[in-house]
Amino acid sequence: MKALNLLHPGDLSQKDREAVLGWALVIPSVAIILSLILYPIIYNVYLSFFDVQPMAGNTYVGLENHRNVVIDPSFWNAVFTTIVYVLFTTLGTTLMGLLVALVMNRTFPFRGVVRSLVLFPYVAPVISVVFAWQFIFDPVNGIFMDLTYEKLGLFSSRFNLIGSPSTAVWVAIVFSIWKNFPFSYLMILSRLQAIDQNLYEAADIDGASGWQKFRFITLPEVYFVMGAIVLLRVIWNFNKFEEVFLLTENVRVLSVYTYYKAFVGTMELGQGASLAVIQFILLLTFILFYVKRVLKW
Amino acid sequence: MVIHTSPLRKVLFLVLVLGIVLFSIFPFIQMLSISLKYPGDWGNPSLIPKNLNFEAYKELLNIGQATKNVPESVLNLLEETPDLTAAQREAILSKYRSTGDVFPFLKYFMNSFLLSFSAAFVTLIFAILGAYSFSRLRYPGRSLIQRGVLFVYMFGGILLLIPLYKVFVGFGWVSVPPGAFFSLLIIYIVQTLPVSLYMLGNYFRTIPFSIEEAAMIEGASRFGTIWRIIIPLSFAAIATVFIYCFMIAWNEYLFASVFLKNYRDLYTLPMGLKALFTSKNAIWDRIMAASVLTATPVIILFMSIQKNLAGGLAEGGVKE
Repeated sequence: MKALNLLHPGDLSQKDREAVLGWALVIPSVAIILSLILYPIIYNVYLSFFDVQPMAGNTYVGLENHRNVVIDPSFWNAVFTTIVYVLFTTLGTTLMGLLVALVMNRTFPFRGVVRSLVLFPYVAPVISVVFAWQFIFDPVNGIFMDLTYEKLGLFSSRFNLIGSPSTAVWVAIVFSIWKNFPFSYLMILSRLQAIDQNLYEAADIDGASGWQKFRFITLPEVYFVMGAIVLLRVIWNFNKFEEVFLLTENVRVLSVYTYYKAFVGTMELGQGASLAVIQFILLLTFILFYVKRVLKW
Repeated sequence: MVIHTSPLRKVLFLVLVLGIVLFSIFPFIQMLSISLKYPGDWGNPSLIPKNLNFEAYKELLNIGQATKNVPESVLNLLEETPDLTAAQREAILSKYRSTGDVFPFLKYFMNSFLLSFSAAFVTLIFAILGAYSFSRLRYPGRSLIQRGVLFVYMFGGILLLIPLYKVFVGFGWVSVPPGAFFSLLIIYIVQTLPVSLYMLGNYFRTIPFSIEEAAMIEGASRFGTIWRIIIPLSFAAIATVFIYCFMIAWNEYLFASVFLKNYRDLYTLPMGLKALFTSKNAIWDRIMAASVLTATPVIILFMSIQKNLAGGLAEGGVKE
């Protein structure tokens, strides 16, 4: 009878009609998300148990991919690089965002212009800014070497900071902080603007210092927004590919490492799939820990 | 809070503001400066070019390139023999046109534009209907869908890359250029849909239901209210989401690099620029000019929606 009802919406109650319409409107989106996000993730787990050829069939190999991945020391290198990258970019982005938000919350001349200029790094396409950064650190022409070697004499010779993995990771970290601090700044600023000004006035009457007002009024108010920013940044920076790969191919964070494994050279798609699974499990473990301990949900 | 700030603290504060601004826009100034400098001037740390050099821009935008490498004598000859047909002229000139090292910036620009525009447009249609459904209508499973949309935040591109590649290879789409292009379009729709649903859903909830109710009492259908009331009322939000999706697709490199690897003619801007940089034609002024031209449309778009975008970002409606 139900099927018949669907054909004659007039026979349905108001509530049922709403349900039918609701599902009808949302079904295309749900179908797209299920078939092109959820299904591929499950398929990825499946592929990680196979020797996958780009243009041919798959052969079941059990846990061999996972084993091959884990016994490779360069994998552990990538894990370590990722942890350093995520730790410092998250800290840097959040603190820089807080600082800028505190500054922009005050009034000063040209504040409107300054507020939009500060958002530039966040909105510019990654590809359009990486070359400027590479130029800044270019050993021959770059302003960084000019400043530190010619003017300040900090180094004994000009060298390519982006050239070697151990120094390039720090350039990648600074780049990521530069690119993403506007996001944290916007989130923190909108929270700052919602703080009741009476709190500060009351503190003034009690003779509180600037630091005390920050410590006991501002910080507690922005604590949760900062907690949320840290969580989002960890998730995004952990999966980051473009911002690292386009700036320098020397920094092998996990996403870049997986990309090389799966799509450059011999195309080990099976190992790439198992790497992606391992990366996801690492991230999930962190999120569960963080949500329980830090955000106390 | 304007009580007793000493002049010194005021100055220090303004220096801090200046420092933040410089930190934010220095790379932009740097790229603009290099794009306008002659090669001999690159090593000079000053940001102001000694002489302005517009060659790089002319080359990228294909202005005045037709007769650039043609020797003077040939040009004179052409002028002195007016009875040549246009086709003959073209044949002579094309011999001198350098073909190998031309960077087809406009073509890449169009590829990127086509892909980003269509992806954002299709996403928007699905997202308006979907977001209306779960922000306005009541039915079992609604909150599950709402939460599911947020869950997608956790998946990075790399996790989807290998399975989607395998799926589209299985369809046989990756081996033909239009198929590869279409696969990429579908992937961009998928990548922008969750965040659009989320942002629009948040916005639709702020429109008072009584307006819709009044229209329905007058006899408007649900689709009628969506078309005549919801869409006009949330036009600013819809434009914001559209531009946001456009920017996500415009910036994307990971999937493009895998799906379009073998089709140079279909390269998007990020792919083209990356290829230019690693090719033998990697000349700083051209790269910087290309960077400026890639960033400009996005920054202009952004300026036009800045207020709404800032609001949307603050509500957490973003995905990277």
